[in-house]
Amino acid sequence: MSSRRDFLGQLWTWTGRALIAASGLVLFRALRSSAPPVREVALDAAAVARAVASGGAAIGEIFVSGTAEAPVARSLACTHLGCRVAGAPGGFACPCHGSRFDAAGAPVAGPARAALARVSLARRGDAWIARL
Amino acid sequence: MDRPPLTDAPAPRAGPPSGGFGRLSFGFLGVSVLSGVLLVPFYSPAAAWDSLENIQGGLAWGFFLRALHAYSSFAVLVTMALHVVQVLAARTERQLAAGVWWRSVILLPVTIAALLGGFVLRGDAEALAALAIWKRILESVPFAGAEIARLFLGSVPGDLGAVALHHAGTLTLLLWFFTAEHAGRLLPDVRGTVLAALVSLALAGTVPLPLGAPPAASPAHLLGPWSLLGLQGALVYLPPAAGWLLPLAFVLLLGLVRHAESPARRTLLAALAAACAVYAFFTVRVLLSAR
Repeated sequence: MSSRRDFLGQLWTWTGRALIAASGLVLFRALRSSAPPVREVALDAAAVARAVASGGAAIGEIFVSGTAEAPVARSLACTHLGCRVAGAPGGFACPCHGSRFDAAGAPVAGPARAALARVSLARRGDAWIARL
Repeated sequence: MDRPPLTDAPAPRAGPPSGGFGRLSFGFLGVSVLSGVLLVPFYSPAAAWDSLENIQGGLAWGFFLRALHAYSSFAVLVTMALHVVQVLAARTERQLAAGVWWRSVILLPVTIAALLGGFVLRGDAEALAALAIWKRILESVPFAGAEIARLFLGSVPGDLGAVALHHAGTLTLLLWFFTAEHAGRLLPDVRGTVLAALVSLALAGTVPLPLGAPPAASPAHLLGPWSLLGLQGALVYLPPAAGWLLPLAFVLLLGLVRHAESPARRTLLAALAAACAVYAFFTVRVLLSAR
């Protein structure tokens, strides 16, 4: 009698564990397939022209420099842990962990090892489309 | 009729001998949950900064309610830490069954995660930076980092909905269940709750909680939540994975104390004390560098 009860108890336990494992697997697959696609951000062409004319300026999370015909964009996300870097003398500085980048976005001090990421820009009508 | 002789044995106490700060922590959790529920109708994760500005300046007593929620939540962690010290000093950790002890230990990271969620929900410049760092740290977990980050932080950039749900739902429920199991009661006791409420009300009334910098601002220094400043300082020198490895190591060391005999117990306590000292050092360092 007791062994039958034990068997049923074990059966319930392992069925529960199997259900939890299956749920975890389904959740994992769902999360894996929900990777955010490449974001497109439209930058007003006039704002880009102003930024370029001033020698480079931040538009939202992107720093734009270069020329009006061929602007160059860099992400302002610090390559260390993703904080938004701010303009500083000679380049950029991260307010979270103190990384510093030169005007071209190359790391010069602090924990960041990689340069600020280049962002591709494409002209579409009156806007420049940045792909992040 | 013969009476049994009186003895010198002490009368049994009403609660566990090291439960003072623990009862208070449960009381603060009650105040925090109640004040959090009162804030819910006025907060929107889709417009975090704007709704917080409205709560702070446009809602009658909103500033007070927000401060009450923040200070009672901070106090949950402070009293919990004091309770841990009290338990370890009194060597009463073995009064709990092993499973309950480990779930109680997990309360520490769950509380810190809930506080971090609340910090991120401010939606200001510091909150957005904390969110970016949290994401990178979670993504550094091997094999399933990106999925874990999406589970806790959502998959839509800039949307704080998932953080809000975990802050008010998952993490709060876990906190309540594990605390209730630990305390052996579903609700905090009256004395602990009233004392916690009085302290929270006094703090909210006398120490105003300011709004942070707007999300588009670019301050020279950004500080994380006060309980994670030591980690912020350590991450200047350590890789992102240290953001989850160090807390995990601390929790494991603390959990193992219950299973260790002297002198291994002494060694574990010394390691924990050293970790706390180093953490305090980095906290002070970050604060000084931000001045």
